[in-house]
Amino acid sequence: MVKAETNDVRGATPGATLFGLYWLALTAALGGNLLVRLAERGQWLGGPGRIALGVAAVLPLVVAAVMFWRLLRRDLDEMIQRVVLEGMAFAMIVYVPVAALYVNLRTAGAWVPRLDPPDLLLLPALLVAIGISVAWRRLQ
Amino acid sequence: MKNELPELRAARGWSQGDLAEALDVSRQTVNALERGKYDPSLPLAFRIARLFGRRIEEIFHPDEA
Repeated sequence: MVKAETNDVRGATPGATLFGLYWLALTAALGGNLLVRLAERGQWLGGPGRIALGVAAVLPLVVAAVMFWRLLRRDLDEMIQRVVLEGMAFAMIVYVPVAALYVNLRTAGAWVPRLDPPDLLLLPALLVAIGISVAWRRLQ
Repeated sequence: MKNELPELRAARGWSQGDLAEALDVSRQTVNALERGKYDPSLPLAFRIARLFGRRIEEIFHPDEA
Protein backbone atom coordinates (compact mmCIF):
# COMPACT_ATOMS: atom_id res chain seq x y z
CA MET A 1 0.00 0.00 0.00
CA VAL A 2 1.25 3.42 -0.88
CA LYS A 3 2.18 5.35 2.20
CA ALA A 4 2.17 9.08 2.27
CA GLU A 5 3.37 11.39 4.96
CA THR A 6 0.60 12.70 7.10
CA ASN A 7 0.53 15.81 9.15
CA ASP A 8 -0.60 15.97 12.75
CA VAL A 9 -2.88 18.82 11.83
CA ARG A 10 -4.99 16.32 9.90
CA GLY A 11 -6.23 14.78 13.10
CA ALA A 12 -9.77 14.74 14.33
CA THR A 13 -10.06 18.48 14.86
CA PRO A 14 -7.99 20.47 12.39
CA GLY A 15 -10.55 23.26 12.50
CA ALA A 16 -10.13 23.42 16.26
CA THR A 17 -6.36 23.74 15.85
CA LEU A 18 -6.78 26.64 13.47
CA PHE A 19 -9.48 28.29 15.47
CA GLY A 20 -7.64 27.75 18.75
CA LEU A 21 -4.79 29.86 17.42
CA TYR A 22 -7.13 32.71 16.80
CA TRP A 23 -8.90 32.43 20.12
CA LEU A 24 -5.59 32.61 21.95
CA ALA A 25 -4.53 35.63 19.93
CA LEU A 26 -7.91 37.26 20.38
CA THR A 27 -7.66 36.69 24.11
CA ALA A 28 -4.31 38.48 24.08
CA ALA A 29 -5.79 41.38 22.11
CA LEU A 30 -8.78 41.63 24.45
CA GLY A 31 -6.51 41.37 27.48
CA GLY A 32 -4.49 44.24 26.05
CA ASN A 33 -7.65 46.22 25.49
CA LEU A 34 -8.66 45.67 29.11
CA LEU A 35 -5.24 46.71 30.36
CA VAL A 36 -5.32 49.87 28.24
CA ARG A 37 -8.71 50.78 29.73
CA LEU A 38 -7.53 50.10 33.26
CA ALA A 39 -4.39 52.12 32.61
CA GLU A 40 -6.46 55.02 31.35
CA ARG A 41 -8.79 54.94 34.34
CA GLY A 42 -6.03 54.44 36.87
CA GLN A 43 -3.68 56.85 35.14
CA TRP A 44 -0.77 54.50 35.79
CA LEU A 45 0.35 54.52 32.16
CA GLY A 46 0.75 57.53 29.90
CA GLY A 47 -0.67 57.94 26.41
CA PRO A 48 2.38 56.58 24.54
CA GLY A 49 2.56 53.64 26.93
CA ARG A 50 -1.09 52.81 26.37
CA ILE A 51 -0.62 53.01 22.61
CA ALA A 52 2.41 50.73 22.81
CA LEU A 53 0.44 48.29 24.95
CA GLY A 54 -2.46 48.37 22.50
CA VAL A 55 -0.13 47.66 19.57
CA ALA A 56 1.77 44.92 21.41
CA ALA A 57 -1.46 43.15 22.34
CA VAL A 58 -2.36 42.81 18.67
CA LEU A 59 0.97 41.27 17.64
CA PRO A 60 -0.15 37.72 18.57
CA LEU A 61 -3.01 38.17 16.11
CA VAL A 62 -0.50 38.97 13.37
CA VAL A 63 1.49 35.85 14.25
CA ALA A 64 -1.73 33.82 14.34
CA ALA A 65 -2.72 35.19 10.94
CA VAL A 66 0.59 34.07 9.42
CA MET A 67 0.32 30.63 11.04
CA PHE A 68 -3.30 30.39 9.96
CA TRP A 69 -2.34 31.12 6.36
CA ARG A 70 0.45 28.55 6.41
CA LEU A 71 -1.81 25.91 7.91
CA LEU A 72 -4.52 26.67 5.43
CA ARG A 73 -2.28 26.59 2.37
CA ARG A 74 0.14 23.82 3.22
CA ASP A 75 -1.18 21.52 5.90
CA LEU A 76 -4.90 21.14 5.37
CA ASP A 77 -6.33 18.90 2.71
CA GLU A 78 -8.67 20.28 0.09
CA MET A 79 -11.93 19.49 1.85
CA ILE A 80 -10.84 20.98 5.18
CA GLN A 81 -9.60 24.04 3.30
CA ARG A 82 -13.04 24.33 1.76
CA VAL A 83 -14.72 24.04 5.16
CA VAL A 84 -12.54 26.80 6.62
CA LEU A 85 -12.96 29.07 3.60
CA GLU A 86 -16.72 28.53 3.58
CA GLY A 87 -16.77 29.42 7.26
CA MET A 88 -14.90 32.64 6.56
CA ALA A 89 -17.16 33.44 3.62
CA PHE A 90 -20.22 32.86 5.80
CA ALA A 91 -18.82 35.23 8.41
CA MET A 92 -18.16 37.92 5.83
CA ILE A 93 -21.57 37.53 4.21
CA VAL A 94 -23.35 37.84 7.55
CA TYR A 95 -21.08 40.38 9.23
CA VAL A 96 -21.14 43.11 6.56
CA PRO A 97 -24.94 43.59 6.37
CA VAL A 98 -25.33 43.20 10.12
CA ALA A 99 -22.63 45.82 10.70
CA ALA A 100 -24.21 48.14 8.13
CA LEU A 101 -27.62 47.70 9.74
CA TYR A 102 -26.18 48.37 13.18
CA VAL A 103 -24.45 51.55 12.01
CA ASN A 104 -27.55 52.84 10.24
CA LEU A 105 -29.88 52.09 13.15
CA ARG A 106 -27.51 53.75 15.57
CA THR A 107 -27.16 56.77 13.30
CA ALA A 108 -30.95 56.96 12.99
CA GLY A 109 -31.26 57.11 16.75
CA ALA A 110 -32.90 53.71 17.18
CA TRP A 111 -32.04 51.75 20.28
CA VAL A 112 -29.29 49.28 19.60
CA PRO A 113 -27.07 47.54 22.11
CA ARG A 114 -23.87 49.41 22.76
CA LEU A 115 -20.97 47.52 21.25
CA ASP A 116 -17.48 47.87 22.64
CA PRO A 117 -14.33 47.22 20.59
CA PRO A 118 -14.02 43.74 22.14
CA ASP A 119 -17.50 42.90 20.84
CA LEU A 120 -16.45 43.97 17.37
CA LEU A 121 -13.45 41.64 17.61
CA LEU A 122 -15.39 38.66 18.85
CA LEU A 123 -18.36 38.83 16.49
CA PRO A 124 -16.45 37.88 13.31
CA ALA A 125 -14.66 35.08 15.18
CA LEU A 126 -17.99 33.77 16.40
CA LEU A 127 -19.45 33.97 12.90
CA VAL A 128 -16.48 32.08 11.44
CA ALA A 129 -17.00 29.37 14.06
CA ILE A 130 -20.68 29.11 13.13
CA GLY A 131 -19.83 29.05 9.43
CA ILE A 132 -17.25 26.29 9.90
CA SER A 133 -19.74 24.26 11.95
CA VAL A 134 -22.39 24.61 9.26
CA ALA A 135 -20.00 23.64 6.46
CA TRP A 136 -18.61 20.75 8.49
CA ARG A 137 -22.05 19.32 9.23
CA ARG A 138 -23.01 19.56 5.59
CA LEU A 139 -19.98 17.62 4.44
CA GLN A 140 -19.99 14.89 7.09
CA MET B 1 -21.54 12.33 -7.30
CA LYS B 2 -21.71 8.58 -6.72
CA ASN B 3 -18.55 6.56 -6.49
CA GLU B 4 -17.12 3.10 -5.99
CA LEU B 5 -14.72 4.11 -3.24
CA PRO B 6 -16.30 2.10 -0.40
CA GLU B 7 -16.29 -1.08 -2.51
CA LEU B 8 -12.75 -0.55 -3.78
CA ARG B 9 -11.50 0.19 -0.30
CA ALA B 10 -13.30 -2.79 1.22
CA ALA B 11 -11.94 -5.09 -1.49
CA ARG B 12 -8.45 -4.24 -0.29
CA GLY B 13 -9.35 -4.55 3.36
CA TRP B 14 -8.41 -0.97 4.08
CA SER B 15 -9.96 1.24 6.71
CA GLN B 16 -10.90 4.83 5.92
CA GLY B 17 -7.80 5.84 7.83
CA ASP B 18 -5.61 3.62 5.62
CA LEU B 19 -7.07 5.15 2.48
CA ALA B 20 -6.71 8.64 3.91
CA GLU B 21 -3.05 7.99 4.63
CA ALA B 22 -2.45 6.64 1.13
CA LEU B 23 -4.10 9.68 -0.43
CA ASP B 24 -2.54 12.16 1.99
CA VAL B 25 -5.89 13.54 3.07
CA SER B 26 -7.84 13.43 6.33
CA ARG B 27 -10.07 10.54 7.29
CA GLN B 28 -12.97 12.97 7.36
CA THR B 29 -12.32 13.75 3.71
CA VAL B 30 -12.40 10.06 2.80
CA ASN B 31 -15.66 9.72 4.72
CA ALA B 32 -17.19 12.68 2.87
CA LEU B 33 -15.98 11.32 -0.48
CA GLU B 34 -17.46 7.89 0.17
CA ARG B 35 -20.78 9.34 1.23
CA GLY B 36 -20.91 11.49 -1.89
CA LYS B 37 -20.97 14.65 0.21
CA TYR B 38 -17.79 16.00 -1.28
CA ASP B 39 -16.56 15.85 -4.88
CA PRO B 40 -12.78 15.64 -5.15
CA SER B 41 -10.64 18.03 -7.12
CA LEU B 42 -9.22 16.70 -10.36
CA PRO B 43 -5.73 16.12 -8.86
CA LEU B 44 -7.24 14.14 -5.97
CA ALA B 45 -9.46 12.18 -8.36
CA PHE B 46 -6.37 11.26 -10.36
CA ARG B 47 -4.55 10.17 -7.18
CA ILE B 48 -7.51 7.97 -6.26
CA ALA B 49 -7.67 6.48 -9.74
CA ARG B 50 -3.94 5.80 -9.76
CA LEU B 51 -4.08 4.21 -6.33
CA PHE B 52 -6.77 1.75 -7.38
CA GLY B 53 -5.46 1.24 -10.89
CA ARG B 54 -8.70 2.43 -12.47
CA ARG B 55 -9.79 5.29 -14.66
CA ILE B 56 -11.56 8.20 -12.99
CA GLU B 57 -14.84 7.51 -14.77
CA GLU B 58 -14.75 3.94 -13.52
CA ILE B 59 -14.73 5.19 -9.94
CA PHE B 60 -16.84 8.35 -10.05
CA HIS B 61 -20.24 8.57 -11.69
CA PRO B 62 -22.30 11.74 -12.19
CA ASP B 63 -25.61 11.65 -10.33
CA GLU B 64 -27.62 11.69 -13.56
CA ALA B 65 -25.74 8.65 -14.95
